[in-house]
Amino acid sequence: MIEVSNLRKHFGSVKAVDGVSFNAQDGKITGLLGPNGAGKSTTLRILYTAFRPDAGTALIDNFDVTIDKLAVRSSIGVLTHGAGIYERLTAYENIRYFGELHGMTGKELKIRIDELADLLEMKDFIDRRAKGFSQGQKTKVALARALVHNPKNVLLDEPTNGLDIMATRGLRQVIKRLKDAGHCVLFSSHVMQEVAALCDEIVIIANGKVAASGSPQQLRIDTGKTNLEDAFVKAIGSEEGLI
Amino acid sequence: MHTRKISHLSSLWIILRKEVVDNARDRRTLTTMGISIVIFPMLMFSLIWFLDKTVKEETDLVNAEALQLPVIGAEHAPNLISWLAQNNIDIIDPPVDPELSISKGEHRVILLIRSDYPESFLNGTTAPIRLIHDSSITGLEKIGFNSVQGAIRSYSGQIASLRLLARGINPEAANPIRINVSDVASPQARSGQFLTMMPYLMIMFIMAGGMYLAIDTTAGEREKGSLEPLLTQPVKRHIVLLAKLGATIVFSSLTLLMVLIGLGLAFGYMPVDIISISVGAGKIATIFIACLPFVFAGCALMVLVASFTKSYKEAQSYLGMVMLVPTLPLMSLAFLSPEPSTSNMWVPALSQGMIIIETLKGESVALELIGLSMICSTILAAALAWLAIKLYQRERILG
Repeated sequence: MIEVSNLRKHFGSVKAVDGVSFNAQDGKITGLLGPNGAGKSTTLRILYTAFRPDAGTALIDNFDVTIDKLAVRSSIGVLTHGAGIYERLTAYENIRYFGELHGMTGKELKIRIDELADLLEMKDFIDRRAKGFSQGQKTKVALARALVHNPKNVLLDEPTNGLDIMATRGLRQVIKRLKDAGHCVLFSSHVMQEVAALCDEIVIIANGKVAASGSPQQLRIDTGKTNLEDAFVKAIGSEEGLI
Repeated sequence: MHTRKISHLSSLWIILRKEVVDNARDRRTLTTMGISIVIFPMLMFSLIWFLDKTVKEETDLVNAEALQLPVIGAEHAPNLISWLAQNNIDIIDPPVDPELSISKGEHRVILLIRSDYPESFLNGTTAPIRLIHDSSITGLEKIGFNSVQGAIRSYSGQIASLRLLARGINPEAANPIRINVSDVASPQARSGQFLTMMPYLMIMFIMAGGMYLAIDTTAGEREKGSLEPLLTQPVKRHIVLLAKLGATIVFSSLTLLMVLIGLGLAFGYMPVDIISISVGAGKIATIFIACLPFVFAGCALMVLVASFTKSYKEAQSYLGMVMLVPTLPLMSLAFLSPEPSTSNMWVPALSQGMIIIETLKGESVALELIGLSMICSTILAAALAWLAIKLYQRERILG
């Protein structure tokens, strides 16, 4: 469960996040939708404790991201922008490293990694060194790494970036399974179709502010538009950055 | 959820172990270490061998052959000429233009005896003669000039004694002091000139051994995009930094150890006469332990500088310069050849340099001075590490 209230983060004169509030419930998929540079990544970075907000609060499972940093980090799994895995380690070693940092060891860790390798269809490259992996393979490793400790809350920053159609489908299934297992999934995207296909709740962000939020149905009603794309354009006030 | 409390120490160990495995698979790191153990002793010993050979050959040459000395006005001083001839100097006819032939390099030294020489000599006053040579010529060529000068001085000394005796004065009255030189330097200590090179090389290798890890800690991880995921793990940032600093130290000190072992083996098996140094396990251990605090400081310095930089390339070029910083205090080793004392043993790099030299020479440095060096370098290392932690905690580290 993620509760964000009036979050602000400025870089010099740039108001990257300017009063963002929303909730993301357990057992639901919440999408942060907005054009490039809207403040989605900065919001996520504050949530996963990389940045400190200038004002406002963010709670993850009731832990404050500025105070209980370690507790927050223990209860989240993060797929950052750009997978960033270690090329000289095998896929297995990459995942094991983060599992160990979460206090997992031995058999328990091995069983969990095998489980994830099954779920994400990584069996054929799990013992290969990551150098030369395709973007899809790298993303799978990064995702497995984020999920290894079975975190209650999952934050994904543009997870489908650079993935082909099959990999994207696979990822969607994983996200749906996480939802069914009662996880709180928060992911950012600038691809409207993706958000529309997956999300129970959509938070539209533009210029560091929440332009609109609610279920897809509710958004259509609020903006008085019949399709989500028009609702999105209406909400952010321009067609800029829409894909 | 699998989250459980994990101690700082075990996260430190997990990260350190991963870094060591990761970098042990890196060709660049291994190349640096490989060079340190193979190329370094080979390079050094081919240099020594070459020097040894040249010096031996040339001194043999100079000592064996009689010096050719053109003399102008030899007829004015027949006694001096025969004295010179007795001292293994061949008197030959002078060239037409003596000064030109010296500057052209046809002759190294020419003796000029003026026609007023016999008169001054007979009157008991100082008789002037002139030696023409080129002082810009150095090295073994200078030996000729020095031996001619020496021969003339001893002739002059003998004549002086005879003159004093003739006047009823004991010649010793004119020589109030006689210098007797006794050289107690051990053969190892005579290799001192060569030894001043050692600290440079070792300190360079200490820095080079840890360089790639230091870059990887910040700029490298950021460029790969793996820094952000790592920092979202339930580990304090300063633990991440310290673990990576630890891994840097592991590689840096391994490189140092390999250089020392390589050196020991090379000294043991190279047949070189001018330098007789044995580097045994005891010396290796002393140098290794005494240099460890410098390894800490050097690695902390590199990690600190790497955290300023934005990319791998930038870090690489900065660290190339940073590697030279610790060699600056070493300059004074070559110019001042200081002895270890409390006034200089607190200086990092310099103090380790002196310990390296003294230990290789076979002399021991007082334990309290080694202690001073180790403590001061450790304090510096701690200060640098603290600064690096402060920088690592900024948000800008993520770029």
